[in-house]
Amino acid sequence: MRTVRAARSGGPAYGIPRPARLTAVALLLALAALLTGCGGASPAPAAADAAGPLRIGAIPDQDPEVLQRLYGTLADSLAEDLGIEVEYVPVTDYAAAVSLFRTGDLDLVWFGGLTGVQARLQTPGAVPVAQRDIDEDFHSVFVVNRDTGLTPSDDLAPLAGLRFTYGSETSTSGRLMPAFFLAEQGVDPEGFPGGPGFSGSHDATLSLVASGSYQAGVLNEQVYEARAAAGELDPAVVRYARTPAYADYHWLLGPDAVERLGADLPERLTDYFTGLSADDPEDAEVLELFGAGAFLPTEAANYDQIEQIGRDLGLVN
Amino acid sequence: MTAVLAPPGPRPRLRRDRRRWVWGAGAVAVVVWSLAGAGLFSGPVVNPAGLRQFGRFASAALSPALDAEFLAVLGRATLVTVAYAASGTALALVLGALGAGVVARTTWGRRRTGWTAARGLLALPRGLHEAVWGLLLVNVLGLDPWVGVLAIGIPYGAITAKVFADLLDEVPRGSYEALLAAGAGRATASLYGLLPPAAGGLLSYSFYRLECAVRSAVVLGLIGAGGLGYQLALSFASLRWDEVWTAVFALAALCALADVGGRAVRRRVADPRPAGEDRPSRDRLLTTAVLGSVALVAWSWWYLALTPATLTSAGTLEQLSYVLGAAWPPATDGDLLGAIASAAVDTLQMSVIAIALATAGAVLLSGLAARRPGAGPGRWALGVATRWAFLVPRAVPPPVWALVLLFVLLPGVLPGALALGVYTLGVLGRLVAEATEELDSRPRDALRAAGASPLGGWLYGVLPVLSGPVLALGLYRWEVAIRDTVLVGLLGAGGIGVLLSGAIAAFDWPAVTTVLAAIVLVTLVVDLVGERARTALR
Amino acid sequence: MAAGERVAVVGASGAGKSTLLNVLNGTVVPTAGTVEVLGRDPSALRGRELRQVRARTGTVHQHLELTGALRVVHNVNAGRLGSWSAARAAWSLLRPQGVPEVRAALDRVGLADRVFERTDRLSGGQRQRVALARLLVQRPDLVLADEPASALDPALADLALELLGEPARSRGGALLVCLHDPALALRHCDRVVGLLDGRVALDAPATSLTLADLERFYGVVR
Repeated sequence: MRTVRAARSGGPAYGIPRPARLTAVALLLALAALLTGCGGASPAPAAADAAGPLRIGAIPDQDPEVLQRLYGTLADSLAEDLGIEVEYVPVTDYAAAVSLFRTGDLDLVWFGGLTGVQARLQTPGAVPVAQRDIDEDFHSVFVVNRDTGLTPSDDLAPLAGLRFTYGSETSTSGRLMPAFFLAEQGVDPEGFPGGPGFSGSHDATLSLVASGSYQAGVLNEQVYEARAAAGELDPAVVRYARTPAYADYHWLLGPDAVERLGADLPERLTDYFTGLSADDPEDAEVLELFGAGAFLPTEAANYDQIEQIGRDLGLVN
Repeated sequence: MTAVLAPPGPRPRLRRDRRRWVWGAGAVAVVVWSLAGAGLFSGPVVNPAGLRQFGRFASAALSPALDAEFLAVLGRATLVTVAYAASGTALALVLGALGAGVVARTTWGRRRTGWTAARGLLALPRGLHEAVWGLLLVNVLGLDPWVGVLAIGIPYGAITAKVFADLLDEVPRGSYEALLAAGAGRATASLYGLLPPAAGGLLSYSFYRLECAVRSAVVLGLIGAGGLGYQLALSFASLRWDEVWTAVFALAALCALADVGGRAVRRRVADPRPAGEDRPSRDRLLTTAVLGSVALVAWSWWYLALTPATLTSAGTLEQLSYVLGAAWPPATDGDLLGAIASAAVDTLQMSVIAIALATAGAVLLSGLAARRPGAGPGRWALGVATRWAFLVPRAVPPPVWALVLLFVLLPGVLPGALALGVYTLGVLGRLVAEATEELDSRPRDALRAAGASPLGGWLYGVLPVLSGPVLALGLYRWEVAIRDTVLVGLLGAGGIGVLLSGAIAAFDWPAVTTVLAAIVLVTLVVDLVGERARTALR
Repeated sequence: MAAGERVAVVGASGAGKSTLLNVLNGTVVPTAGTVEVLGRDPSALRGRELRQVRARTGTVHQHLELTGALRVVHNVNAGRLGSWSAARAAWSLLRPQGVPEVRAALDRVGLADRVFERTDRLSGGQRQRVALARLLVQRPDLVLADEPASALDPALADLALELLGEPARSRGGALLVCLHDPALALRHCDRVVGLLDGRVALDAPATSLTLADLERFYGVVR
């Protein structure tokens, strides 16, 4: 039996709105519970379904608050449509998301291109079920600090002599594909002065380039556009170049869930995602949160290029 | 009879103890070498343009996020962190108590090889950082709460075993031998003759471990376990500094709580209340502390829903064999070994800079931070402020320090080294202040009475006596700093940690094994050097 | 030594008195020769048998070897650890066992009001009396005592030797006591053995010796 008393990963609590004045009371209760050793404030055990819930998760490459809203909304919509219990499990680490998929703690994960390949190769029986329309045509942007004096261009060669940072080490858009395109233009992706940095997140990349500690960096175009639209971009950051298109994010389903919830689960999920329509207000909300016009079916072969590049860079074994 | 005077000998000269001199010169050389390696003497290391970004981080400390929803989330996260810290510490203390028996000199007597082997066995669990244990355990246990508990319990258990054994070994043997001579068994004799004198030290250390465990639980959150660290990681990834600071303050409050509780219990054990004549008076404070600790651990167990069965379930064993199978044999290609060697040098230099900075800072501030009975209100307030100020640098996790320092420093070894240095200063500052309080204050008072300035009194009356404990603490923290470099490395600040995070991200298990072995080896070497230095300087 | 005998060992510091006691209670293995205590050789015994012999041997050490961090009641009860199970010994630290006997023993040495005091808060003389009380609850057959009255005033010193000699006088036990004070030796012992550089230099019934004889012996030593 698996009771969920404490959400180890921080808690589904994040998205649940609570009246403000209750907060202090809750804290006091929590403290009292702590001191007396009776856990009055702990969440109730999850209803135990024989088959168990479908546990969905995502690699953490986005604003966490967005992730929380994204998956809260999606879990509700998915549960309603498929008639099964859906639980969102937050994860903070790329490698952890892959490992948890392998161990069967996560059933359906929104992986980036590279992490999806890693997870699929480690988990026999895993199948990609859907991708967004924009994932067929995904881009990263190279940014430079204003003080470098560089102006937007398609030539990546001038970046070679700059202090350069990627995002997370196994980010497809923040590491893998930019490295591939750098190499295509004859720039050694590991050869930057002092070695490339790994800022850990797209936002950290933007901040480090703004500070000038790193003179250049690369990040997910979607994140860059979102920050630009919100007016949060530092004027010291200059958009330098845009990569060619590549395939990126996709939904990957683990074999364990198929066993528990029925052999037709992959099809039902693909149908659910591709059936989301911008005309339906509820569906539109999900699509908007994912920044997509629609979801499309996908297959493993779409990620062969990523797998090959991953192997070349030693990120897929 | 005439007294024969001894012929006048050579004039006594100022003689320096050669062994100390060698160690001292060696230490200075290593620090200079490390600073050179960090690029301090070969070009600019500072990036003034980044001050704005750093200022954003610093100024957010004054306006932490206090909206109700975030506080509610943080409150629940705090409970998770406390639960991990408490159950992890409990496990560590159990393992430590059992292990102490195995590695104590008392157990082995004159059988030195056995003792050395037992100590060597501890190097593996001890050499790996909690975060590394966490990353490894996630691969075996998945999302199970045991990950956090074991990740704290295993390395802490090994450290605790060593410290407990040392504490017990330091107790004079007389009472214990006398009890044996009167026919008591070894266990009973230990209970009556060895444990009571060591109780204060054991208890004090246990509470110190609890405080460390709170910080470790947060670090584990950074890599994916729950609690405060998870919230901190979320806010950190999107650079919401106001939220980061709220989490940091919550963590500082927890540390302060553990610290204050530990101090109260420690003082009561060292100096119990006078006894009643007719019956042993139950000490309220101690009874509450003991019952409270037991209740806290029981609650943690329940709250985390720990079930021992998961540890031996088929799924766990299957994942374990998957990881072990993938990780053996270790990678031995020349490129990797070369990279490890050069990263090990970086790690060493980072740790040396960090510990030099922290030790110097801690000593300079210890005069302010130490409690001094009978001092004026101004001095008292300054002391309280300094002690509280030490809480902040150790409540901000090293990876966060590394990133914000990277705004104002150019990339390289230095940001990571300074990040660790600031963090270690928070820990060491407190330890050195405590050591200062325990010193005999009479020499200093006598100097002050003879008209010496405060600085003069400190230089002649405090510093000479303080140097012993400070060196011991500094060397001990150096070993810890070596482990912590892996942590800043995991988030990209250089050293072996970078290789480890690369290997883990690529799921290159054979390389992971090799890198882990290298880390354990480096820790072991530092441990041995530290031990030699301590003996030489004693 | 015969049953019921009380022997005083005299000699200067370093003459081997403490070593003799430690050999007899089995904590030091002799480098040459054999020892027989209560009919057994302690250096040849192991485990339970050794513990049994040891439990019948009560020692008052020169440095007392009390556990300062424990309360007086536990230090007195430590005399019974040889006969208590480990579990009982552990439980007694939480809920002191056999308090009436402890109180009675302390009463005999004049410390009944200090039962629950921390031992390291007592004066040197009081601690010496706690060590005596420990011996009283142990009820050994063979009593070994090393300067048991060094920190006591004359009246208490007499009382202490009185108590130490009790097993010898009433139960056919024996007492071996190292003393610096010749008068005490003559008053409370049947036989006096003088040690000089680790060898027996004097062995005579107490009745055949005068105070002057003993003082002369000390004079030789000095």
